[in-house]
Amino acid sequence: MENEKWNSLLIDYIDGKLTEGDRLVVETELKVNSDVLKLYKQLTTVIRELDNQAEIKPTAKLRTTFKNALQQEIESSKSNKQVFFQPMMLRIAAGVALVMVGVSIGYWINKNNIRHQEIVRLRQEMDSTKYAMMAMLTNQQSASQRMLAVTVAYQMPSADDEIVNALVKTMNEDSNTNVRLAALEALSKFLHQAHVRAALIQSLAKQKDPVVQISLIQLLVKMKEKSVVKELERMTKEKGLLPAVKDEAHAGILKLS
Amino acid sequence: MKIADVFLTDEQVMEAVKGGNLQQVSVLFDRYHLRIFNFLVRLTADRPVAEDLTQNVFLRLIKYRSSYREGNKFMPWIYQMARNVFSDHYQSNKNKWKGFTDLQKIEDSMPESDESGLQDEREELLHRSMARLDQEQQELLVLTRFQHMKYEEVALIMNTSVANIKVKVHRAIGKLREHYFELEKG
Repeated sequence: MENEKWNSLLIDYIDGKLTEGDRLVVETELKVNSDVLKLYKQLTTVIRELDNQAEIKPTAKLRTTFKNALQQEIESSKSNKQVFFQPMMLRIAAGVALVMVGVSIGYWINKNNIRHQEIVRLRQEMDSTKYAMMAMLTNQQSASQRMLAVTVAYQMPSADDEIVNALVKTMNEDSNTNVRLAALEALSKFLHQAHVRAALIQSLAKQKDPVVQISLIQLLVKMKEKSVVKELERMTKEKGLLPAVKDEAHAGILKLS
Repeated sequence: MKIADVFLTDEQVMEAVKGGNLQQVSVLFDRYHLRIFNFLVRLTADRPVAEDLTQNVFLRLIKYRSSYREGNKFMPWIYQMARNVFSDHYQSNKNKWKGFTDLQKIEDSMPESDESGLQDEREELLHRSMARLDQEQQELLVLTRFQHMKYEEVALIMNTSVANIKVKVHRAIGKLREHYFELEKG
């Protein structure tokens, strides 16, 4: 430890970095302590050797090869041009723009998410209404419940295959005339849907209730559905069919022809 | 080098390089290649290798130019790169490393001495003693004694305190003295 202390003091002494006080301490010690004096001489020799080392010159090849390498780097950086905004203001502007785009995307995603949740909620509501309506429609015990179900179907903005099939079945098979008529009226609301038109045309041949038959003929005529003319002609000739129905069929043929 | 380049600081030139003006690397090469080469040739004791490594330092400067932080001093940054380049070279040649300075290789690069063979002997002794030091001690002596850098500058390169550098340099000189006079006796 003592040796390290003297080592450090002597190096600073040789380098001329000691304070006046420390310099006097070292000089006094050098006069009385042969070990410190020996250390001082050896350090002086080594430090002089170190400090006297001359600068070494590289060969000219270093500059030449560097210039070639630099040229290659410049060429390759031209072909892989980096987008690097200069000066600082441009970089800041680019940063701000990036943040704004990020916020907008975040807002848009969030808004879309809320809209999506709203759609899901409405769809769930519609589904529950639909299933409640279907349950009521199949309630054979209560005609008023089935009538209510048809009214609910009438108020729906659109009808999927399931609803249309249920309404067609009600129109063709329900035991109550008013319910069958209401089902027909509900179906007339969805005429623009191709499968509803097809269901109504097919129903004409199956329908046995005169009241419904008349309403159905009137609706098909209103729809200008010429494909039912043959069926109407058959009805005019059908034995046992109510004259009022035959008259309506006649009138329909005349209007559609 | 253009006349205008003379008035630019190292940091301003490096910022231009970072901004994509690669031609300005040649300004930094002119200013630093001699110092970097001397740093590396003292550590490798091999002139062709030191020249290769010097070139690598400047190529690395181009490659990692975006990592240069504006406002930081350029000199410590390039020396840190030179240390890394040497360290990579040292690691990859560890098995081949001779463990002492190859004087035959370095002597071609030394200036002609007007003095007697005694000076050559002393220099040889110094290089052999240096080679016995560890890598960090060698680097410290090259920077502070051969290249006459201030402890403050070396502290920035080594990323440590000035006091720590001073202690380490003094220890390195102490070790060098021991090796030098041991070898002289032997």
